[in-house]
Amino acid sequence: MTGENKGLTKAKEIYQDRSRRAKELKAGGKKIVGYNCIYSPLEMMAALDLEPYGLFGDMREPTSKADRGLPTAFCPIMRSLLDLGLKGRYDFLDGMVMPHSCDAIEKTAHVWQCLIPVPYFHFLDIPCTVHEESLEYFKGQLIDLKKTLESFAGKELSSEKLRKAIETYNEQRALVRELYDLRKPDPPFISGTESLQVIKALMSIPVEEGNELLRQVISEVKERKNGPQKKAARLLVWSHILDDVALMETIEGAGANVVIDDCCVGRRAYQADIDITEDPLDGLTNYYLTKIACARTFREAVFGETKKDRIADLESKFGYMKDYVNEWNVNGAVLLLVRFCDPFGFEVTEVTDYFNSLDLPSTYLEHGYSEGSLAPLRTRAQAFLETLSS
Amino acid sequence: MNPMNSMNPYFAGVDIGSTMTKVVVIDTEGKIRSRVIGPTGAEHRQLANEVMQQALEQANLSFDEMSYVVATGYGRLNVPFADRQITELSCHARGVASFFPSVRTAIDIGGQDSKGLEIKEGKLIDFVMNDKCAAGTGRFLEVLAAALNLKVEDLGGISLKSTRKVNISSTCTVFAQQEVVSLLSEGVPLEDIIAGLHNAMASRIVRMIKRLKVEPDVVLTGGVAKNIGVVRAMKENLGCAVLVPEDPLLSGAIGAAILGKELTLKALAKGEPIPRRERHLEKVTFFSS
Repeated sequence: MTGENKGLTKAKEIYQDRSRRAKELKAGGKKIVGYNCIYSPLEMMAALDLEPYGLFGDMREPTSKADRGLPTAFCPIMRSLLDLGLKGRYDFLDGMVMPHSCDAIEKTAHVWQCLIPVPYFHFLDIPCTVHEESLEYFKGQLIDLKKTLESFAGKELSSEKLRKAIETYNEQRALVRELYDLRKPDPPFISGTESLQVIKALMSIPVEEGNELLRQVISEVKERKNGPQKKAARLLVWSHILDDVALMETIEGAGANVVIDDCCVGRRAYQADIDITEDPLDGLTNYYLTKIACARTFREAVFGETKKDRIADLESKFGYMKDYVNEWNVNGAVLLLVRFCDPFGFEVTEVTDYFNSLDLPSTYLEHGYSEGSLAPLRTRAQAFLETLSS
Repeated sequence: MNPMNSMNPYFAGVDIGSTMTKVVVIDTEGKIRSRVIGPTGAEHRQLANEVMQQALEQANLSFDEMSYVVATGYGRLNVPFADRQITELSCHARGVASFFPSVRTAIDIGGQDSKGLEIKEGKLIDFVMNDKCAAGTGRFLEVLAAALNLKVEDLGGISLKSTRKVNISSTCTVFAQQEVVSLLSEGVPLEDIIAGLHNAMASRIVRMIKRLKVEPDVVLTGGVAKNIGVVRAMKENLGCAVLVPEDPLLSGAIGAAILGKELTLKALAKGEPIPRRERHLEKVTFFSS
């Protein structure tokens, strides 16, 4: 071991044994709050000395118990999450926050409370449109969350502490973007697979430790000699929760470097910063409702400029991806979704159309969130790469 | 100097499908020198080298005379005697375009998957693929032929006698089987049932293919294309003519051989070495990690 990949090795260790740190902290007296999706305001939890812990399914674990609470033709990720809960994988949690990011999460939140009670549970309602009224409504929901978190933590959340937590998380966002900048060169300094591993590690450990890990990875990958090789295809992957490295490895293994992504265990959670506002809740409200670019929010009517102009709408919805394509020198895009995902599934046509308008070849691939999905995914990814090179 | 002089004049395509293994050897003119089709089945799956050997014997050639070997099909990944693996999607597209240069849509119905290819000027530009469900694949017909106590190759001929095809409401292979049994007990003529099955299969595949821009010429390949009843049902469901190559099973292997030839010529034209691997004609290492 030369030590040159210490940060990446650490990220891999955390990825492989995600709950270890959370369990240590729990043993030391910390309360662990599980959350899913990137719509849970981690800043509020951290400011109250609660430890947020990202909840995921596990595509390597056959889903055998979820039928107790969820239908079969339903988001395989939420089915897997409930399955893990029923099998005791998340027994160490003291609390849970589930946001209304999509209907699958909303339904799972209610089923969870029936089948796997936890001492603290908060369902965070989030409107799906961006208007003055919805911002006001959402701020009310955040005030509710603040109250239940405060009573669970047994202390008050001061504006000062919240502002501080926002700054620390903004620092994480900036560091992740710095990490992504290292994928601009050809070959990139860090692969899509490694990057996913780092991001999932961040969602498993305290924010300050995550920032330290990021600094370490950023400084070492620039120096290492065993980084990714140059490949003909430089891909953008558009997805939702893409939480297993095998999915990324399958695409990169077919002969590509994934140089940028718009995914939830990826760039989407770190693309924008939270504004520091006088009442920090205003910054949080604005960030979670308007700044995260997710299919779950209807963002055509951009706050303050409701136009009925399709081209402008597309630009306001997906314009950031044009920057990705140009700045990361992308020559192909993979739209990679899990089966039965309504919000993202409905957006495939529009995203494809937008990529077509950029003259960017793209393909839509679906997987079943199981190891058995990998071989068909490999064939499709490889065939897509063959269409790029022929 | 003719670049062809500096290489061996033969190219092989090895298509390891889920049901059949196909090997084709072509020469520099693109002429097929030999073709062999053997079962992939559980005990045969390691023996693609034997099918390759048969193909070589048929043409009286040695393996060393192969300038380039391309493996394709679901078993393509672990063929130790191939120089390169290319997906069956690209190989089918290339193979079909070699028989029908004006093809825009190719539909391949294999033993355990089916795929639709959108082709422009001989090149694959988009695709859809079903490999999750037996319905819409050759397996559907195998299961139902067994339920009817018939040989799968006889289904097509029998279905042509149908005057009133039944409507099979279930597109699931297992439930369709039950439906067939109950239709039989009601005394529905066999040919009408089989015609109904062909129609159910064709409509399912056409629904999938419609995710692509389906434009003529439409070509049907794969083992199922040998079933005249399915070809007819596909024509009806697509509402246009359907072309079938002389040997519909071989389009993947032929495409693989042609792509191998093209890769070789491209390298030679650039003055680069042929991108060959160190390889020997040995057993396929299926499913090794």
